[in-house]
Formats: sequence, C-alpha cells, structure tokens
Amino acid sequence: MENNTDTEFLESLADKEYEHGFVTNIEMDILPPGLNEDTIRFISAKKNEPQWMLEWRLKAYNAFLKMELPTWQNFKMPEMNFQGISYYAAPKNTPKYNSLDEVDPELLATFEKLGIPLNERKKLLGVKDDEADVITDEDGNVSERPLVAIDAVFDSVSVATTYKEELKKHGIIFCSISEAIQDHPELVKEYIGSVVPQTDNIFAALNSAVFSDGSFVYIPKGVRCPMELSTYFRINAENTGQFERTLIIADEGAYVSYLEGCTAPQRDEHQLHAAIVEIVAHKDAEVKYSTVQNWYPGDKDGLGGVYNFVTKRGICKGANSIISWTQVETGSAITWKYPSVILQGDNSYGEFYSVAVAKGKQIADTGTKMIHIGKNTRSRIISKGISAGNGQNSYRGLVSIGAKADNARNFTQCDSMLIGDRCGAHTFPYIDAKNPTATLEHEATTSKIGEDQIFYLNARGIDTEKAVEMIVNGFAKEVLNKLPMEFAVEAQKLLAVSLEGSVG
Amino acid sequence: MTTKQLESPLYESLQAQFEIVSLQDQHEATKAYRTQAMETFRALGFPSIKNEEWRFANVLPLVKTTYEVSADKNAQISEETLAHAQSLIAAHKEDILPKLKGEEKGAYRLVTINGVFSKELSFLPDNAGITISTIGEAVDHPGYQEYFGKIVTLENNAFASLNSAMFTDGLFIELKANTVLDMPIHIIKVKLASGNALFQPRNLFIVRKNAQMDVIETYISDADNEAAILINGVSEIALEENAHFFHYDIQKGCKNIRKIQRNEAVQQKHSNYSNYTFTFPGSSFTRNNLTIHLNDEAIESHLYGLYLTAGEQLVDNHTEVHHKKPNGESNQLYKGIIMDKSKAVFNGKIYVYEDAQKTNAFQQSNNVLFSEQATVHAKPQLEIFADDVKCSHGTTIGQLNKEAIFYLKSRGIGEEQAKQLMVKAFAFDVAEKIKIPALRSYVEEMIIEEMKGH
Repeated sequence: MENNTDTEFLESLADKEYEHGFVTNIEMDILPPGLNEDTIRFISAKKNEPQWMLEWRLKAYNAFLKMELPTWQNFKMPEMNFQGISYYAAPKNTPKYNSLDEVDPELLATFEKLGIPLNERKKLLGVKDDEADVITDEDGNVSERPLVAIDAVFDSVSVATTYKEELKKHGIIFCSISEAIQDHPELVKEYIGSVVPQTDNIFAALNSAVFSDGSFVYIPKGVRCPMELSTYFRINAENTGQFERTLIIADEGAYVSYLEGCTAPQRDEHQLHAAIVEIVAHKDAEVKYSTVQNWYPGDKDGLGGVYNFVTKRGICKGANSIISWTQVETGSAITWKYPSVILQGDNSYGEFYSVAVAKGKQIADTGTKMIHIGKNTRSRIISKGISAGNGQNSYRGLVSIGAKADNARNFTQCDSMLIGDRCGAHTFPYIDAKNPTATLEHEATTSKIGEDQIFYLNARGIDTEKAVEMIVNGFAKEVLNKLPMEFAVEAQKLLAVSLEGSVG
Repeated sequence: MTTKQLESPLYESLQAQFEIVSLQDQHEATKAYRTQAMETFRALGFPSIKNEEWRFANVLPLVKTTYEVSADKNAQISEETLAHAQSLIAAHKEDILPKLKGEEKGAYRLVTINGVFSKELSFLPDNAGITISTIGEAVDHPGYQEYFGKIVTLENNAFASLNSAMFTDGLFIELKANTVLDMPIHIIKVKLASGNALFQPRNLFIVRKNAQMDVIETYISDADNEAAILINGVSEIALEENAHFFHYDIQKGCKNIRKIQRNEAVQQKHSNYSNYTFTFPGSSFTRNNLTIHLNDEAIESHLYGLYLTAGEQLVDNHTEVHHKKPNGESNQLYKGIIMDKSKAVFNGKIYVYEDAQKTNAFQQSNNVLFSEQATVHAKPQLEIFADDVKCSHGTTIGQLNKEAIFYLKSRGIGEEQAKQLMVKAFAFDVAEKIKIPALRSYVEEMIIEEMKGH
C-alpha cells in the first residue's frame, strides 16, 4: 500500500465534517456566565425547588470550592474557566406542549436533524397518533416498531417526555428530574447523591451544585418496563455548559433498558459537559444503560469540541441484581468517563461494554470500575479502543475485590486497534484482590488494523474503505451486539462515518 | 512540601550526613553529580502513598527511624567479622557455589561485607577481559566516565536521587569487547549491623560489544540482629552492540531488611538483556524498580519475576520497558504466590515510542492468592504511540485448582505435598528460563522449602 494514499486518507478522515454541527435558533433564557452562590439560588428558584434541594446544592458548591482539578490523567489538562460558563440556558417557551402547533418549529427541526424517528417526534410532542407503529425492513417485511419513550434535554432543560401516560399505567415514573423534585420529592431525596456523592470529584461537585435538568426513572416492584426509555441530550447555546443529572431506580425485581444519545453544534470554543448518572438496582432488579455519545469533537486542528467529563455509577444494592453499561463513544474533544458498578448485593452482576473512537485530535480516556463487595459477585468488562489520526485512546479501569467478596469473578478484555502512525493506545488497568477465592482475568492486546485482512477483502472486490468499515465493525461487534436494535444500527453507521477513509 | 511527600526524621538527618559523605569524595565530577542529585532529592522528599508510583508501598515506617550511614569507605574487615560472615554464608545455605563447582562448571565468587570488598572470601576470574573493582576505585576508568550517572533516571525518583547523592560503596564490573566469561559471577552481599543502618550500594555493569556474562546477586544479613537495615541500591547496566547479559537477582534475607532496588539498563543494537528477579520470604519490605531502555534496533529484553511471599511481607515490582527504535522485542513474565498476610504489587509499564514500529512487547502477570489475608495489586500498563506493533498484556489472580488437589490426594499424595507440587508447576514457566541448572534446582528447592507449613 502506498504511503501517499495513506496520508490522503488520513487527511480526509481528519477533514470529515461533523454532521450534527447545526445551531438551532430558538429564543433562549440564558444566565450570564459566572458561578457563585447566587447562580445556584437562581437556578433553584427558577425550578421552584424546595428548600432542602437548595441546601443540598449549596453544600455541593462549598465542596466544589475546596476541590482541585485532578492531575493523574494521561493528557494535558485544558485550562478550565468555571466563571466563563453560563450555567443556565433554556428555550424560552418552556410550557409543556399539548399539540403540535404549540411547539417551536425550530425545535421540531432540531429533532428531525437529530434523527429522532417521526413516530417518536410525534409522541415527544404529545400528538395523538392512531397509526400502527410499524417499520418496514429491507426485505419489505413489516413488523411492529419497538416502542421507545423519549425525554429530550435541550441545553439545560428537559423539553418533552413521551409515553408518559402509557408508562403511568405500569406505575413507572419517567420524567425530567425537575418534575421529579416537584412530584416525587421523597424518592429524589432518598436516592440523589446516594451513588455519586456531592464530594466524589470536582466535576460531580459542580454538577451537584448547578445541575439544571436531566431524567428521572423509577420502576416499581416487579415491573418490567414495556418499552425502551431514551434521552436525547443536546447542547445548543453558546458558552454554556451542560450539567444534567440522571437518576434511575429499579425496585425489587424490576427491569428497564435505558438509552442515551447526545450531540452538540459546531463551535470554536470548548464546551463543558459534566453530567452525572446514578443507578440504583434493588434485589433481583436489572438495569441496562446504553449510550451513543456523539458530541462535537472539534475540528481537525483540535479547535473547539466538547469536554465530556461525566461521572456515571450504579450500585447493585440487592442480591441478584444486574447493572449493564454499554457505550459507543465517537464524539467529544476529550472524553473522560468511567461508568462503574458497585456490586454490593450477593450474586450481583456488573457489565461494561465499550467502543471508543479517537480520531483527529480527540482524546478518549475511558473505562470502568467494578467494586466487588458482596459474595459471588461477577463482572465482565469488554473494551474496544480504536485510535486514528492523532487520536489518543486510553483504557483506565479498576477491578477491586473486597475481603468479604467470596468467589468473586471478573473477566476483562481490552483490545486496541491503531489506524495510522500518529495515534496512541494506552491501558491503565488496576487490579486489586483481597480475597483468596477471587478469580480475575485481564487481557489486553494492541495491534494495527490487519493489512492482510484488508488485502483479502480487496481481493474479493471490496474497496479499502468498505473493508476498514467491515473490520472495525467486526472488531466492535461484541459491544455493538449489546445495544438495543435501533441504537445498534445507528452506532454501526456512526462507526463507519467516524472512520471513513482512515486507511489506505 | 506537598501532600505527596513525607516529612520524616530521616529526611532531616540525611541533610546533615550528606555533607560528610560529599566531603570524602575526592573525585570532582562525581562530587558535582552528588550535589546535583541531593538537590533533586531535597526537592522530591520521600514519596507518600499519595504518589501514584508508591500507592501500595508505604515507606513511612522505613523513614520514620534514623539510620547510621556507613561513611567510612576504607574500613578494614576484622578477622572476627570475616569469620562471622563466613559462618553466615554457610548457615544460610547461601553457598550455592560448591554445588555449582561440583559440576564441570562452577562460579566465581565476589563477597562484600557491608559494602567492603573481601578478597579473602572471594574467588575472582583470572581473565584480562574483565575489570572488577569497587565503584570508588573505578573513577578514572573510561567505562566509569562514559556511563556513570548517565543511565539512571533521577527525575521524580527520590530514592535513586538519594543513592546518587550519598552512595558509599558498590561494584564496578566491565567486560571488554568479545569476552565471553566462562562461569557466572556470584556476588554475595553480607550486611551486618549492630544498630539501624542505611546502605546505599551503587553498581555499574558494562558489557561491551559481543561480550557475554552471567551475574548472580544474593544478599544475607544477620538474622539475630533486631536492628533495621535499609538498603537503597542502584545498579546501572550498559549493554553495547550484540552484548549478552544474564542478570539474576535472588532476594531473600531476614525480616530486618528493607530493600529498595533500582536496576536500570540501556541497550544497544542486537543486545540481549535477561533479568531474573526472584523474591522469597524474608525481608519485610522489597521494592524493585526495573527499567530498560531499548535505545536501538533489534534488541531483546527478557524480564522474569517470581515472588513467593509470606508473613507480613510486601513485595512490590515495578517494571518499565521503553521501546524507542524499531524491531525490538520485550517479554515480561511475573508470577506470584502470595501467602499469609503478605502483599504483592506488580506494576508493569510498556512504552512504545513513535519510531518503534514492528515492536513486539508482551507482559504477563499471574498470581495465586493462598490465604484469607493475602493481597495483590496488579497494574499492567501499555502506552503505545506506534501503529505497527504487537503488544499484549495479561493478568490473572486466582487460586490453586481444587480439583487438581483432590486428584493428587486421591492418588495418595498429602495435601501439603500436593500444593507444593502445584506451586512448583505454577512457577515452572519462570524457573525453566534460568540458564544455570544448579541455580534452577536451588530456586526450585527454595520454593518447596518456603512452602512448608502453608
């Protein structure tokens, strides 16, 4: 293979445009940049929050003031100006929509660009739709479309939640967290901060102080959520940070599958996204959390892009509970997140499936923590890192077996694929065992995308780009298979797009 | 001082003792080097557990006490001491040399007592191709001028800086080009102390073009002595083109020993460095830092480790392999059996630089937890900046297969013996890499011996 085509391909890869880089012109309610106690009081007042919530926020703010930015990372920490960020931005028309006409047309257009299916868009806006939900596949077979309930978060505010009534029948609560604070304060009070404390890390403290919205899910005892729940996050306004907070509680024997998708417009300055996701799984409960993250990654010179500093953690509180994280990370200038599971209940099980792509000047530092506390707890980690262009991809993980976690079992596999000679792949796994009955396995490999595989496919009449796409999809398959069907298709496309023309 | 440093009486006392050590040094270049290293040490201080590199190795108990610094380089060994050392060597079954001599091939022996070279107890090669002297005597040697202080990394390295500033003894061994040593050199370091003592040996091994040698290092101390002995050693190792160096470091010794050892090697084209670090129950604190720089093309490095830990021992192995040029190959195989309340740490780093295409770098760490209170911390780390590479690492933590033990028992083999057999088999992968048969059987015997009662 010639070198110059290699270079050309790499360049075209770096030049690949970000297709969600549009801005929606919606009238916004924006708080001027700056952070102090008044900012927090303002946000809290704007949300009509009870006194205890304000106090909780202020406590987090005070903790935030005492904390410093971490220094352990494997990349140069960008300078953070917390005063330069606007902490509250909301579309001006916030009343809940009852019919399509009430919705800001720009918002509708946004959903269209985001690729939210028409059917869901209608549901999102609460329009009654009597047509059968069907989808037609490639062979012309008609099947019933799986139902997905969506909560859309636009900058800092949740704009709409679909299928609320339907879910209510099952006793499921799916709403924005601000609504939950109003309507279900006892639940919020009990669980908020119970998995990710306000003082967990500086970004968690910041989020706890200024979070403006997010999703709240409660699945009652023994209920299997009949549809996928989904949230779309989008940063739209300039100079804003997005600080959303998701809280998912699965009571005894409950099951829920939750999806999260994100995009942001193309901007020259960096935007901060510091979210928190907390999951609580009680006895026999199961929570599946899937993310397809596609924030704006910045241009080829590393200008702009989202700093995605997210704290995600779940706790398997009761026996036999299951928490499963699946993530496809293709966006953001810097991704810094470690979805973790605390395996407290006996026989509980944690999973982490991840595909992370770092191209252009992107940095992905991601991984997981599996904290084994209960007996017979098991965990499985599959991480696939793909580095291209000047991308730097790190896997950072912890598997910790406590002294009382008898018969704990962990399997970890983290593989890296390198495309191009200026990228990097790094692994930082921490493995701590304090119990002699524990069995842990960790394996990792790093290799170049197989030239012989590309050659083989070329020989079968498949061009190089398509071949790379096939190989990458094959490499990531184990993870993609874990995604709910619709998301898997989207993720597969996203991977293809992200790596278009990356190898000669 | 930041929270990553420890305040300790030792830190204070060392400041004062530095002046004495430095004054004694007559060699100007070395003196300047010492002063600079002391500055680095002053700035760094002793690392606390908040320092990522020292997270699991708490040096606080080590630096809480003060130690007597053996500053007198020219001290004579009294006959009493000599006899004492000799009896120690015999008592500790340290004398693996007769066994080696029993076969066709034997070993040379080099004995130091508290860092002072003992001619009486040594048996040195009579070969013009080799230079053996103390580090202090070697200052005018071209090899010293070429390599001394140029291999070890002091940056962010408090203990290596301290050693560089205050080393009082050590060995200089240079093997000239095209020399192949017929027998291994066995270095026995005897440490005797009546009070708390700090030893800072500094070695320099140079293997010139096409030369080859084997070195076995062991150390022993007086077991009846309650005094604490802290050894902060640094060895600089240089391998020139096509040189071969097999370096065995057998670590056991009594509870009063605390050891921090840094071995750093630079390798030139086609050279092969094999390091064997075997740690057995004994010293209460062992930290091994092994760093290899593959500075040229087509270099091979092999790092083999075995740690059998017992009691309340801590054994911490940190390895760093820097692949800087293409076609290099490195292999790391570390195996651990962790018993009683002991703690084992393995932190392996592989760096593959942008230029180092076609690198093969492998790393494997397997651990067996033997008891309720045993702990393992493993952190295999890869940092790769080149794309055409094959790198992998694997770590396992587990226990002996119960079914296999049951099978052995059903064949009339007692539980203890069955476990010994299994551990021996587990360690086989590493033990079989030992090139000297007598040393290999010695290591295997030691495994069985130390396993008794567990």
